[in-house]
Amino acid sequence: MMMLQHGSTQLICLTASSGVPLFTRGASKQLPFSVIGSLNGVHMFGGGQGVVLSCCETEGGGKVVWRVFQDSVMLIAVSGGEQGGACSSKEEQVRLQRLLENVWSCMVLVLGQDELTNVRNVERLKRDLRSCFSLIDQLLEERQEGIMGNLTYCADSLLPPNPTLLQEAVDGFAQAADSEFSCLIVHGRIAAATEKWWRLAPQEVVLLSALLRSLSASGSASCDYPVFLPQGSPTVAHRLLRFQLLPGADVCVLCGPTPSLHRAESGLVGRFWTPLVETLRDCLAVGERCLPGSVSLRPDVLALLLINRETRRSVSCVRTSTNHLLGDPLLPSKARCWELLKLFYIFSTTRYFTQEEILCALPEERAQRGNTEDFVLGFSHQPLQCYLVTEECKSYGLQTPQHQLFLLIPLSVPTFALRTVATQTLSDIVAATGF
Amino acid sequence: MASANARKCTEKTLCRGQTEEDDAEHEHDSDCESTSSSFNSSDCSNDLEPEWLDDIQKNGELFYLELSEGEEEAALASAANQGVATNHVRFSEKEAEVITEENKKQRCSSWTKGEPPLKRLARILRRKRRPSQRRVGGKDGGKDNSTLSSPPASILKNQPGQRQGVMVQQQQLKEVCVYLNPKRLGGSSTPLSDSGGLLEALLGVVHRPSWSRGQADSAGVRQEERLTVHGLIPNSPAIKCGQILIGDVLVAVDDVDVASENIERVLSCIPGPTQVRLTLETVAQVDRSNASDTSSVHKTKASPPVSQLVRLLWGEDTAELQMSIRHIPHIVMYLSLKLDSASPQDEEEILYKYPVSEASGQLKRVRGIFLTLSDMLENVTGGRILSSSLLLGNQLVHVGYWKQSNNLLVIGLPADRVPLLYLQTVVGDVVRTLKVMYGSLDSAFCKADHAPRLDHFFCLFFQQLIQPSRLRDGSSAPTPDVSGTLFLDGLPAVQWLTLPPEIKVHLWLTWRWILFFLILSLLILEKCLRTFFGLRRLYVILGSCLFYKSYLIANHLPKDDLLDVCLYCQHYCLLPLASEQRVGQLVIWREVFPQQRAKGSSTAPGYSQPQGRHFLLIVGLRHFMQCVLLEAGGAASTALGSPGPDCVYVDQVKATLLQLEVLEAGIEERLNAPSAPCLSCADWFLPAATARDRLDSLASSSPVFSKIASAVKGSSTGNRGRSLFGEKARRSSPQRSLSDSGSEGQMDAGSGSGSSMAPGLSPHSTPDSGRKLGGRRDSLGSGGSDGSGGLFKIPRMKHPNPFYLGTLKKTLTERETEEMYNTMKLTSGAENTLFHYVLMETVQGIFIAPTNREVAQLSGSIHPQLIRNFHHCCLSIRAAFQQSLPARGRRAADRPQGAGWGLGPVKEHGVLFQCKPENWTDQRKPAPTMTYWVIGRMLLEPVPQEFYVCFHDSVAEVPVEMAFRLSFGLAF
Repeated sequence: MMMLQHGSTQLICLTASSGVPLFTRGASKQLPFSVIGSLNGVHMFGGGQGVVLSCCETEGGGKVVWRVFQDSVMLIAVSGGEQGGACSSKEEQVRLQRLLENVWSCMVLVLGQDELTNVRNVERLKRDLRSCFSLIDQLLEERQEGIMGNLTYCADSLLPPNPTLLQEAVDGFAQAADSEFSCLIVHGRIAAATEKWWRLAPQEVVLLSALLRSLSASGSASCDYPVFLPQGSPTVAHRLLRFQLLPGADVCVLCGPTPSLHRAESGLVGRFWTPLVETLRDCLAVGERCLPGSVSLRPDVLALLLINRETRRSVSCVRTSTNHLLGDPLLPSKARCWELLKLFYIFSTTRYFTQEEILCALPEERAQRGNTEDFVLGFSHQPLQCYLVTEECKSYGLQTPQHQLFLLIPLSVPTFALRTVATQTLSDIVAATGF
Repeated sequence: MASANARKCTEKTLCRGQTEEDDAEHEHDSDCESTSSSFNSSDCSNDLEPEWLDDIQKNGELFYLELSEGEEEAALASAANQGVATNHVRFSEKEAEVITEENKKQRCSSWTKGEPPLKRLARILRRKRRPSQRRVGGKDGGKDNSTLSSPPASILKNQPGQRQGVMVQQQQLKEVCVYLNPKRLGGSSTPLSDSGGLLEALLGVVHRPSWSRGQADSAGVRQEERLTVHGLIPNSPAIKCGQILIGDVLVAVDDVDVASENIERVLSCIPGPTQVRLTLETVAQVDRSNASDTSSVHKTKASPPVSQLVRLLWGEDTAELQMSIRHIPHIVMYLSLKLDSASPQDEEEILYKYPVSEASGQLKRVRGIFLTLSDMLENVTGGRILSSSLLLGNQLVHVGYWKQSNNLLVIGLPADRVPLLYLQTVVGDVVRTLKVMYGSLDSAFCKADHAPRLDHFFCLFFQQLIQPSRLRDGSSAPTPDVSGTLFLDGLPAVQWLTLPPEIKVHLWLTWRWILFFLILSLLILEKCLRTFFGLRRLYVILGSCLFYKSYLIANHLPKDDLLDVCLYCQHYCLLPLASEQRVGQLVIWREVFPQQRAKGSSTAPGYSQPQGRHFLLIVGLRHFMQCVLLEAGGAASTALGSPGPDCVYVDQVKATLLQLEVLEAGIEERLNAPSAPCLSCADWFLPAATARDRLDSLASSSPVFSKIASAVKGSSTGNRGRSLFGEKARRSSPQRSLSDSGSEGQMDAGSGSGSSMAPGLSPHSTPDSGRKLGGRRDSLGSGGSDGSGGLFKIPRMKHPNPFYLGTLKKTLTERETEEMYNTMKLTSGAENTLFHYVLMETVQGIFIAPTNREVAQLSGSIHPQLIRNFHHCCLSIRAAFQQSLPARGRRAADRPQGAGWGLGPVKEHGVLFQCKPENWTDQRKPAPTMTYWVIGRMLLEPVPQEFYVCFHDSVAEVPVEMAFRLSFGLAF
């Protein structure tokens, strides 16, 4: 008898000091209050003894991850086991840890750090937190396929066919709006952005993209939304203006008080973006492939995730089975491909490839993240590439000083050819797009 | 063995001979001869009480470990050397004396080999001894023997302090560690009282009470009977340590104050072979021994000659080891989940805990967390709790759980020692070991009298995980890397030593034959016992396995029993112990609870296996160690109480080992032979400044090389895969020999962009031909067993590296060359690119890997790093295999489509590593790099195997094929 269904994740938020529950999200059935109480209790008890509990694993892949943010908010994620047995315990743990970080940043993004750390009225905070729910749910459910930023902390990007035009338009638009931060989002991925936008912390870029996705999902043509930047300005709010250019294509600008939403919408949007409607349509046509038509992928690539380690951008795509080998029934489905790609990314990065933000982080913080272990640091030589052959497909990961590439390849490709496929894919994409 | 015994006898003769009057000579010599003949005639000393008899505990268990003589001497020699070094500063004549001492020792050993009459030997030695003493005494000079007379003149030290008023005397204390073995006295028939007692016989210190009394009288003061060293007995522990000097006063033994009244009592308390610390008061001169000297004297007490591991196994002195890791959080607790709220005693839920230290105390205090979590999470996620991660200050600690009925075993280990990936395996192994030893966790932990033994058990456990290097220090073995130990010990298998066929057959026949007679003789014995004495106690031998230097060489235990036995051996470090020439004699006897047998009886309702009790007997002699699993009850009579080891069984097993010693030479030859399959050293592929000569020789041999390459290519045109490899290798090998082998640019050119491989590969990239190729490769693999036997037929090559076979090869025809070449290599392509491998066969529970010596032969500076890296990577690979194991049973049919499936079962997993030489000083050029693969492959057909291999990047390898080639050569 168990309280949590297989595969579902529940998120619990409490005040760290008093243990008052603020909200719970995810999972159809909420955990009983007694369970929430003891989950919080064990962590608090440990804290009193100088022991910080960070995570817990059970048979069948169930996981509990605790984390206290700013000594004020405690987040607990509980994930039920998986039916397949303990297949991906470690991967699951990393996913949950990322989830907690993202949820906290989300709360800061929407409410600001002050309101979360100096809680005067718990009831009011509870009410305020409701405004985060749509964003948190999006993070929890990972509704949109092909968004990897939550995991990689690299902005999901779309490489447009003619980037210079769009780049100029975004730059001009930002300048006109008296801002330095602006970006164009197509299919939920960043197609073009000002230089300053890329200079935001990677996690902020990812979260702003997530916020914009949820805002544009609401269907409004434009909106003006106050945001706190979790790392840049956690206490001072900025305005995020968003305008829908075409269905699926939005432009946004992060600015101070000056251009009113109305003025920007009426004056600026038309001026900069009307001439580019055709370009935008081309952009939209790229769709989920994220790569322009000029890049010809080898036929034996099922899915790919390419990360530029310097700019912290990523491109990912999954081939739809229609254009691939007559829809071989043995090939994993599209959804499964996305999942495999994510799992393989976590698998490789937790064991072999270093993630930049973990290297940058201070040791205490690294430990606090519970991103634990540092199995990677145990290697005396540097891992460059790795592959995995499973029953469904083959996966190949490759790391260069500039890029990380993760590929899914059908089983029919012989193992010794994987490396060639990977290196060729990387050089093809880089040559064609300069990514 | 015989020679060792003979030497023992010599020793005894010497002791007595020197200390006793000449007229006693004859009887003693004859006595000695009779002893030695009894030793020689029946090596297992039937007529004598076995040495280990006193060590049997009340519950019948026995753990008796005796170091071999050679080992003791080596250990003592190292200690003596230090002694010499320090003493050298003080006493200039000392050195000369020591040298003569060594000469004597050599002579002594040469005599014993030739088996001359011991009588003569003793007499000669005695004669030699006397003059030398006199000579030294004379050299001491100026000393009036009649006044000072009493202490015999020092052989090892001047006693200038006793010159009247010349120098200021200063009493100093020094500590000396000596290794004592009371068991050596066992055979002695002489009553100890008439000679110097145990002090002489055991320690080798001659103390003449009358002399000191005389001295005291002359001084006019009635002194306490102090134990002045008046003489040292040759070959005794005292003289071998080189630090006990005549004139010293023995003050304490292991911190127990001793005087002449209690010394015999104190020494008789030493139960078995052990190391004791003697405190001696020595006379030092103020003027000659300045500050540096005193410090050097103090230094001598460091570096105990016997390794910590042995001391730990002897059960001494765990406190110091424990102290050194007290700051590292680690704990084991056995907690009761059933809390009796009526009696709220403090800590009553803790049934057992270890150790007691500050860091572990912190973990102990939060046991509430473990109890609550294990209780609650089962309901929440539907699975038992496996592990949690905690942060103690900045230290991450992983806690593993094992729930058994109403109790919970909690083991906390620092994350930097045991990665979470492998925690489960570690905990599982401990639990299984405990179950094998005690039957169940409850019976292990819930008995109060088990506590000291469990403390010992877990002390070993933590020491091995947390500071393995310290445990082994003082031994010659390379310090094991943590990942390597974790990985290899975690494999459900034992390392198997592949032997050349002739030895194998010989071994098998001999062993079988001996066992057959063993059983037969036991049957006869039993019949006798029953007939004449009405006794019934018999064990049925279920099987046994034989280790040589930590490698399994023969086994007919079922797999699960083998693993049980092996877990026990691993836990007590018996295998490395045997490999380092440490074991003089090892006898272990205890009741065990083999897991498979315990399970089997409960699960099969119809057929119930005969319920019996099982006993494990381990006998080790030198490098051989035989583990025998015995059953009482069932077919044999039921064992009552806790029977101790039966001499008959021990002796019989010992006898088989002695018989097997004839094989030692053959096995040693195999161990010394270059590895088959051939291994390459990583350093050869990396032209560092230090490896210039390597490079040169490599370049010079390259013509031969390319010829082979072309031969490979020419002959194997029928096989596309092979020719592909050949072609590629041919292209890469001149590059390597010409310039920096693996500089970044070439790597990229060769494989990075894929330009060189692409044309060759394009036909395979379509799935159809790829599959066909795979099929053919498999058949080739099985057909490729032509090289199977041959894989190990040529291990007598002098050079481990095929690179250096140039001269040999020229004499062979090309065809032969090629054949030979293929049989020796595991990798395809012209060069041998194999660095390391581990092949595990899960059905029999054995694995093969290059032996330590094979690895040591390769030497190199990068190579050890590479192996460490290999093992670390294998941890990850194996964890990936393990994760997919439970899921493998389910097929695609009932697999949930879409979410929640993880990565799925992993069949093969590889990682490419890049290494650079350390301390690359050349600023102008970038450091050369070398890339290599570590690949793990799980095979289910024809037998379940796991194969881990590490090879250079220049050739694309198919691990399946390599595994086939390797396993066919082994004929498991």
